[in-house]
Amino acid sequence: MKWSQFFNTSIGKKLLVGATGFFLCAFVIVHLAGNISLLKDDGGEAFNTYAAFMGHNGFIQFLAWGLKVIILLHAIIAIVLTVQNQRARPVKYAVKPGNKTSSWYSRQMAVMGSILFIFLVIHLSQFWWAMHYGDIGTVSYGAVTEVGNLYEVVYAGFAQLWIVVLYVLGMIALSFHLIHGFKSACQTFGLNHKKYNGILNFIGIYLFGILIPVGFAVIPVVIYLKQI
Amino acid sequence: MKLTLKVWRQQNSQEKGRFETYQVSDVSKDMSFLEVFDVLNERLINEGKDPIAFDHDCREGICGMCSMYINGRAHGPWDETTTCQLHMRAYNDGDTIVVEPWRAAAFPVIKDLTVDRTAFDRIIQAGGYISVNTGNAVDANAIPIDKHDADAAFAAAACIGCGACVAACKNSSAMLFTSAKVSQLALLPQGHPERKQRALNMVAQMDKEGFGSCTNTGACEAECPKGISLTNIARLNREVLVAGLSSE
Ligand code: HEM
Ligand code: SF4
Ligand code: FES
Repeated sequence: MKWSQFFNTSIGKKLLVGATGFFLCAFVIVHLAGNISLLKDDGGEAFNTYAAFMGHNGFIQFLAWGLKVIILLHAIIAIVLTVQNQRARPVKYAVKPGNKTSSWYSRQMAVMGSILFIFLVIHLSQFWWAMHYGDIGTVSYGAVTEVGNLYEVVYAGFAQLWIVVLYVLGMIALSFHLIHGFKSACQTFGLNHKKYNGILNFIGIYLFGILIPVGFAVIPVVIYLKQI
Repeated sequence: MKLTLKVWRQQNSQEKGRFETYQVSDVSKDMSFLEVFDVLNERLINEGKDPIAFDHDCREGICGMCSMYINGRAHGPWDETTTCQLHMRAYNDGDTIVVEPWRAAAFPVIKDLTVDRTAFDRIIQAGGYISVNTGNAVDANAIPIDKHDADAAFAAAACIGCGACVAACKNSSAMLFTSAKVSQLALLPQGHPERKQRALNMVAQMDKEGFGSCTNTGACEAECPKGISLTNIARLNREVLVAGLSSE
């Protein structure tokens, strides 16, 4: 079977959604680890130095562009599959089983994913665009001179309540998406084994479903509270 | 018991169907679900009306014919039970029961509650067999097989092709069925020579029939009357991954 044929099968497409999903899971861990420095009371030194490093390192810039391609690939293939799945049942049932045979969040992947996509568009235009193409002030810290003051942009953004609310909603969507998504991607890659299911479930629910989204959501909330 | 049945009536695959409401009285708790339909059909025939078409054959839970989607559940509310094995003690006097056919593009309605499930046959024809030279029967224990593999293959082979997995899945995906049929052969040495082509061809046919893809919600496993496990879907995914990466 040729590559083109393989990735045209339903399982081939699912593998692409799963692989890009795993990459995004790895990304959110790194992203949170970096962003937590926003909460340090150091006038932005740790965060701005980190942001400057990320913005100038060639390899990281390559990954950052790759990340955008991967998000688009993930979303496009997932939407193609969702549309095919809708077409597979042209006449709907009059009575639906509700949550008796499957969990609510496992059926809302496309909805949560779409909310995430909207969130990402707003998020990127707010900070990433500002950092790269916007006109933001610079600061210097000892040896590190003239770095963009993204810290200030973030604090200004999170002084607005509606933006904070938007971020919290985005993270609720992320939580539901990943509680099912991580486990689902494991299953798509054939990882379903009595001995490992316990730990995979744990990672899916507690790391990706709770710790990461709560960690992200805490940042705008704390920054908002600090400024009122 | 007195029951209200709302049953999907549809003349043929072209016509648009509709629900028809019937009152049935004197339903005993000991009757099977299909027996209620037998009684109702006798009445309809006596009244000179068209009886409700529904599939059934063995009435003992092994043929997989009795497809009915009952109050939002494939084969009704009981776990690991076909419609013919569902008994009226599951219901109470005065209940309203809505009965629909399996709904999937790949399972067109033939009439009323009967659907055309030959799409499953074509998936089997695409690779759900082993090619053997016929001749004398080989001694049963000539090829050593790990007991765990034999048991897992046997559990997968319990699939009766009823289509409840497709009916229950929000995507009308046939992954549980296809994975059971691939697994029963992939786990045994006799299935190995055709292993890669089998997985790829059966999945290609499954897609061609218009079944949806799997989003791992687990509704199929919850509704399967034979307890076919999601581990079979994981195995099918592995088979397809390996075959797709390595076949030319
Ligand atoms: C950009 C917006 C996004 C959209 C539209 C989207 C949509 C989807 C959809 C429809 C699915 C398949 C549903 C299923 O298998 O049940 C899916 C799966 C998944 N998504 Fe997303 N998603 C998005 C963003 C993300 C992000 C940011 C992450 C990670 C941080 C992520 C991780 C995953 C994972 C791990 C899976 C499971 C893949 C599998 O089942 O094989 N997604 N996504
Ligand atoms: S896997 Fe279960 S639900 Fe699906 S066809 Fe086989 S027996 Fe029926
Ligand atoms: S009639 Fe054979 S399984 Fe129900």
